[in-house]
Amino acid sequence: MSDEPRDATATAAADADAEVTGGLADRWASFRDREISTVLLTVVGVAVFPFLFNNFLDGYTQLATLMLIYGIFAVGFDILLGYTGLLSFGHAVFFGGAAYAAGIFSASVSSSPLLVLLAGTAFAVLLAWIVGFLSLRRGGIYFAILTLTFGQMSFYLAASPLAFLTNGENGFTSVDIGHLLGVIDIHGGVPFPLTMLVDNMLYVFVAVMTVLSVAMANRILHSPYGTVFRAIRENERRAEFVGLDVWRYKLMAFIISAAFAGIAGSLFAIEGNYVPLESLYWTESGRIVIMTVLGGVGSLFGPLFGAGLYLYIENIVSGFPTLGPFWHLILGVVFVVAVVVFPDGIWGGIDYVRDKVAGGEDK
Amino acid sequence: MTVLETERLTKQFGGLTAVDEVNLNIEQGEGVSLIGPNGAGKSTFINLVTRRLEPTHGEITFQGNSILGLDPHEVVQMGMSKSFQTASIFPELTVKENATIAALAAEHGSFRFNFFRNQNSYPEVEELANEVLESVGLYSERENQADSLDYGNKRRLELGIALAAEPDMLLMDEPTAGMSPDETKSTVELIKRVKQELDLTFLLVEHDMEIVFDISDRIVVLNRGSVIAKGTPDEVQDDPAVQEAYLGGVEE
Repeated sequence: MSDEPRDATATAAADADAEVTGGLADRWASFRDREISTVLLTVVGVAVFPFLFNNFLDGYTQLATLMLIYGIFAVGFDILLGYTGLLSFGHAVFFGGAAYAAGIFSASVSSSPLLVLLAGTAFAVLLAWIVGFLSLRRGGIYFAILTLTFGQMSFYLAASPLAFLTNGENGFTSVDIGHLLGVIDIHGGVPFPLTMLVDNMLYVFVAVMTVLSVAMANRILHSPYGTVFRAIRENERRAEFVGLDVWRYKLMAFIISAAFAGIAGSLFAIEGNYVPLESLYWTESGRIVIMTVLGGVGSLFGPLFGAGLYLYIENIVSGFPTLGPFWHLILGVVFVVAVVVFPDGIWGGIDYVRDKVAGGEDK
Repeated sequence: MTVLETERLTKQFGGLTAVDEVNLNIEQGEGVSLIGPNGAGKSTFINLVTRRLEPTHGEITFQGNSILGLDPHEVVQMGMSKSFQTASIFPELTVKENATIAALAAEHGSFRFNFFRNQNSYPEVEELANEVLESVGLYSERENQADSLDYGNKRRLELGIALAAEPDMLLMDEPTAGMSPDETKSTVELIKRVKQELDLTFLLVEHDMEIVFDISDRIVVLNRGSVIAKGTPDEVQDDPAVQEAYLGGVEE
């Protein structure tokens, strides 16, 4: 598994060479629209990210890992918010719930990272089916409030009545992660060629999951579901009156987004070997909304950038000498500026600049 | 064959009876118009038939089956499609995508478990979408965002979306409302053409009498929730009760 990013990177480079010859813009456009290209771009992105981040942006690999984890969460959340137009204010229940499920599973059933990941994600999906079934009865603000309620309910349940399972306010500390496929120490270092890019196996594991998640999200958005979700966002009543079972599609959007939250939550437990109670708190639900909007709702890659920028300000900017203590304020200003100047978030801004540049070339 | 039949269909809102014991039959291939003054219960009637509202009592059968208790999308899947009073489209999607959504629903039914299949693996959906766009004359606009169409074309697209479901019956709620005379004319032509081509049965709610008398085989007049007259355009025009209630007793 550790070979995968390297091989794919090599293929990407070869592909990119082939693209250079003739009609660059056209070739780029057709390259960009293919499914495999999206995957390759993601592979290249996650492969070079820690190197750039650590050397030029004062970053460190653990934060890069966390950025990818929240990136997965945000990519899934965007399927619900950006594509289907449903604002959930309780997605912490799937993120934190999956983290707890993964942690408890690792401590009492199996410590295999892949099984732990599967268990956490499965838990999030089941939970989403129930919460979605109940919350989606109402639309708009009522839906947001209902999801918020379920989120807070889970927080208080984990804090005290279920403390025998969750270890209450101290968070779940007995996470026990074994070797990947029995041989690879996930919290260890990486073999030689990879050391040029990253310094630990955990990042590689999370990066592979990120690529798979982006590939899945891309697949879903290019399936009939992608079109139906956007139709529901645009005009729910019309979608119902062309004969679509809008309610079931909304439930699917909810479950799919929760599955991504589940993957992210499980990785979060694996990454930290710990599940804090705060992972169920409503601020966690709020964070993912901000990350997604900041990155750009309705785009595939935007939320990854949103998650990255949010965590960058929270963790790096907060350590700057004079600016540091004001990081909340900075985050707020960035958010306001982003939303006012680029209503489609960072990705919308990138799109805008790219159109400008491409337009300039044409003329 | 009777396509749509209502029997003593009634809807009360509190003390107000909006639709009062309406019996209506629409035969295969027939174009029926529902007219009446404002507040006569036309919209309520349409909403009852499309299952947006629950009737107080009465029966609605579509192609011989009762549709009471069904969801709107189930009624559409049975073959009853609706064109809305305003241009109800998917504004931020392309014209092609608008038609594709309707084609998906027509080809795949109300729900399918296919979120890992690429949309391109369904050529029949694309084919139907293209057919629909051609039949409403919007094929050349297919890559444009639906928002950017002028109002007349939005309404044509809306009609296209309704037709993509390959309906046995089409309900049209004031299809020419807000259109310029030219747009109205071309829309009427379009309706006439698809009626002929598809042997379409339709129920039309319309204020514009010229259109009503032009394209209807039969007219039903509602007033205060009840049917006060029905018959061919000529019969209805000459009916004294209709002139009294609707045309204000003034002959045209």
